[in-house]
Amino acid sequence: MGGGYIAQQIVNGLILGSMYALVAIGFSMIYGIIRLINFAHGDVVMIGAFVTLALMQVAGLPFVLVAAGALAAGAVVGVLIERGAFRPMRGAPQVTGFIASLAVSIMLQNLGILLLTAQPRNFTFPAALQKVINAGPVSFRVIDLVIMLSALGLMVLVMLLVKRTRLGMAMRATAENLDVARLMGININRTILAAFAMGSALAGIAGLMWGGKFGQIDPLLGYVPGLKSFVAAVIGGVGSIPGAILGGYILGLAEVLFVGLLPPIYSAYRDAFVFGTLIVILLIMPNGLLGSDKGERA
Amino acid sequence: MTAERRNTAALRFVLPAAAAFVLAYVLQTVLDDYVMSIVNFVGINIILAVSLNITNGMTGLFSLGHPGFMAIGGYVTAILTLPAARKAMFLPDLPAWLAGLQAPFVPALVVGGLCAAATALVIGLPVLRLKGHYLAVATMGFLIIVQVLITNWDSVTRGPLGLNGLADLTTVWQVLPWVLLTLYVSWKVKFSSLGRTMIAVREDELAAQCLGVNLFFTRVLSLALGAFFAGVAGGLWAHLVTAITPSSFSLIMAFNIVVMVVVGGSGSITGSLLAAVLFTVLTEAFRPLEEHYGLYGIGEILMALVLILILIYRPGGMLGTREPRFLVDDDG
Amino acid sequence: MLKKGLLLLTLLAFALAFVSPAAAGEPIKLGALYNLTGGMSSIDAPALNGAKLQAKLINQAGGLLGGRQLEVIGIDTKTDQKAAATGAKKALAMGVVAGLGYGDTTFVMAAAPLFQKKGVPFVTSGATHPMLPKWVGDYMFMVPFGDDDQSFAIADFTVKKLGAKNIAVWTDNSMDFTKALSKFYKQRIKELGGKIVLEDFFMMGDKDFSAQIARLKNTKPKPDAVFISAIPNEAGLSVKQIREAGLKLPIVSGDGFDTELVTTVPGPKLANDIYFSTHTYREDNRPEVVAFVKAYEKEYGHPPENAFAALGFDAVGLIADAIKRAGSTDGKALRDALAATRGYKAVTGEISYTRPSGVPLKGVSIISVHNGKYKVEEVWMPK
Repeated sequence: MGGGYIAQQIVNGLILGSMYALVAIGFSMIYGIIRLINFAHGDVVMIGAFVTLALMQVAGLPFVLVAAGALAAGAVVGVLIERGAFRPMRGAPQVTGFIASLAVSIMLQNLGILLLTAQPRNFTFPAALQKVINAGPVSFRVIDLVIMLSALGLMVLVMLLVKRTRLGMAMRATAENLDVARLMGININRTILAAFAMGSALAGIAGLMWGGKFGQIDPLLGYVPGLKSFVAAVIGGVGSIPGAILGGYILGLAEVLFVGLLPPIYSAYRDAFVFGTLIVILLIMPNGLLGSDKGERA
Repeated sequence: MTAERRNTAALRFVLPAAAAFVLAYVLQTVLDDYVMSIVNFVGINIILAVSLNITNGMTGLFSLGHPGFMAIGGYVTAILTLPAARKAMFLPDLPAWLAGLQAPFVPALVVGGLCAAATALVIGLPVLRLKGHYLAVATMGFLIIVQVLITNWDSVTRGPLGLNGLADLTTVWQVLPWVLLTLYVSWKVKFSSLGRTMIAVREDELAAQCLGVNLFFTRVLSLALGAFFAGVAGGLWAHLVTAITPSSFSLIMAFNIVVMVVVGGSGSITGSLLAAVLFTVLTEAFRPLEEHYGLYGIGEILMALVLILILIYRPGGMLGTREPRFLVDDDG
Repeated sequence: MLKKGLLLLTLLAFALAFVSPAAAGEPIKLGALYNLTGGMSSIDAPALNGAKLQAKLINQAGGLLGGRQLEVIGIDTKTDQKAAATGAKKALAMGVVAGLGYGDTTFVMAAAPLFQKKGVPFVTSGATHPMLPKWVGDYMFMVPFGDDDQSFAIADFTVKKLGAKNIAVWTDNSMDFTKALSKFYKQRIKELGGKIVLEDFFMMGDKDFSAQIARLKNTKPKPDAVFISAIPNEAGLSVKQIREAGLKLPIVSGDGFDTELVTTVPGPKLANDIYFSTHTYREDNRPEVVAFVKAYEKEYGHPPENAFAALGFDAVGLIADAIKRAGSTDGKALRDALAATRGYKAVTGEISYTRPSGVPLKGVSIISVHNGKYKVEEVWMPK
């Protein structure tokens, strides 16, 4: 096991972690504002991936328009979900929203199977993004670099938005206390809708990247990113956007390093090791890595 | 409680129980194998929902670990009841003391339940310090760890292939008494000082602590009690399906049980019972629609729609945390 | 208001439960158990399509036993063991004369024993564990070859034709099918004097193989080939990532690789030097294969998704053939007729039940992929 081997494994972990982080940002945004564990978030990733496929491979649009389409599709789906399912039950216990999001997720998955069949489809990205870069002992693809940079870029963008704009201020106020925010004259419905639109748009673009990275999509693909972003967000401290990113990286690194550094027979135990580690992290820091006590209103 | 009131309370339980036995007898004679197996799954789901309601509903511990306890109970029961000859064929590497052992069904179920409860004690000690979503992720982790271990522990569990061709020991006469026992215990707990303590822990920890409630003890007890019945349900499940594999006890199953508790009304025993019946029957009822029109998946979509509608119109579940008026003396 | 709505809904659902399709004459019912939703649906859904197509063709040709129609009732068991058991009971309660289904052993083992108990034959279209007939009993029949046959076939090819000596084996450790495949493959490689230099594992649903690939790169002695025991969902993904990492060694596998994804996901440039053993169907020009592919395209508007479509088609064909020979739909007579099947010309190769194991004696195709093109290298026959 040389240094090059370990370096390659760490790079692999960071790439996978960026993918998880990218999905977790939107997840955490939505959680932050209305304390909703949105399990359907992963399925918005799936829709983003299929919209990308339709616009790129069927309609043949240029890449920039495809990306815009994936963002828009995510935002539209997010808005529809919020208006249709979550707004009517606002104010209900947290677990109600969680269960409703599961129902939405089951609906989207089975609609996908009904309309598109369960067959996985291949997904071809422009050749420029598939090129392999060799940097000393490690190698990765251009798309991996794009994913890593956009995860970081989006994090900065979202943070600026939340900290510096009027809408961001409204969001923070709503997250702090919904009723007081309403009394202060903030349009709660619009603010929450905006958070959903943005969070889901991020999921849409994550779908584009997911398809580009793995080259194969199917109607059930949302399950994994949904689950991983949930775990990443919780590890980081629910509601904290930097926390979600950190959680995503830790999860990605843990998954790759447990397989890469332990003897091969333990590869099959990967999930047990990963979740064991997560439980230990939570026991040491019961509110996640960057979470605060007040974030949780269980 | 006066003697008279105690009598009416007993009557309230004995009468429905007797009615349930009569109903079971009628169903058994009238219905075919398929519908009868649905009836049995309704019973098992009642045990699962009502027992999870002790943990999630009354004490407010958001646990996704229920199928993990089921898996433990199911495998223990299946291995204990497996005839020695089949054990030799399926599990040649079993330790000698286990290989020769064959237990009758009911003791095997009890042992399965106890193993699940013991596991709950062990994992509860560290994990129950967590709250809310953090606890949900930790219990989900527990479920996944159980699944991984069962998948890889070939010498005892036969790996991903699982144990199959189990005897079909689960009849309505096995399920019904366990359903009644689960209901009875859960009812007794809810309307005892322990139950009040649990609800106090859920509603306001600080206040409960000020009143001298041992938070941690209450939490661990509530998890273990739920786990015992989940383990028993796992054993019944295995011998109704007559096969058990690690992938049977998935996160999706955890969600389904949580859904029943929430839709019924967190904390309401009657609510969990009703939701378990409603969901099991509806899933089967949508099948002919799928089979007739070839629209596979439409059943799941309709179920999800029903679920969302219930949650919109009854965000606190069908019955809130209460029991129906005619079943309780004072406000439940 | 809500309660009324719920009540109505429940009543509606119950009413639907008792609507049955109008029967013309007395149809012969077959219960087709498949996982049409959930994780296994990409494998099982095409198989049901194939089964329904066969029934349609038989009915158009005049049906069976003097004009009786064949009705395939597709039951979705949702990738769930519990649903598999209730689905089997439902089919039996509906009075099916035979059951068929599944591309995976664990689901067959939840359903088939119930058919055995009632004395109704069960034919699996795609489950390949060679012990299935032994485990279930004399009413259990297999359309495909056993995992031992397909593993031996590709192992022989790896050593004798590719000249590989040092071999790496990747196994999906979450499924019985993939574990069995690897077991038989390793056994044969060792018999042939080859050496397993690396054994690595992953789980169904994994998308990222970067950790395993890094290890494969660093294995000494350098592997001459890598055997990947996977189902179709991971086939294209693993090939793409191995080739993108710059590894050029031959990739070998079993019928889990029999999917277009092996060429479409990596693209034609990277889909190179791949060899897999599968049912004699792909790139085959026997008349029954050509006719099947044409009929399937006409019915569903696209070519068969994978070999499971052809296997589902064969399962119904096999049962229909036995009903014709038995001249009845009685369980015992049908079982005897099935067991007496000799040289049935199925799309996936001739089927004869002559071996004591109950596994059909069928040829195994070795398919190669070069620049995204499939080619039959040879047809391997079991002894």
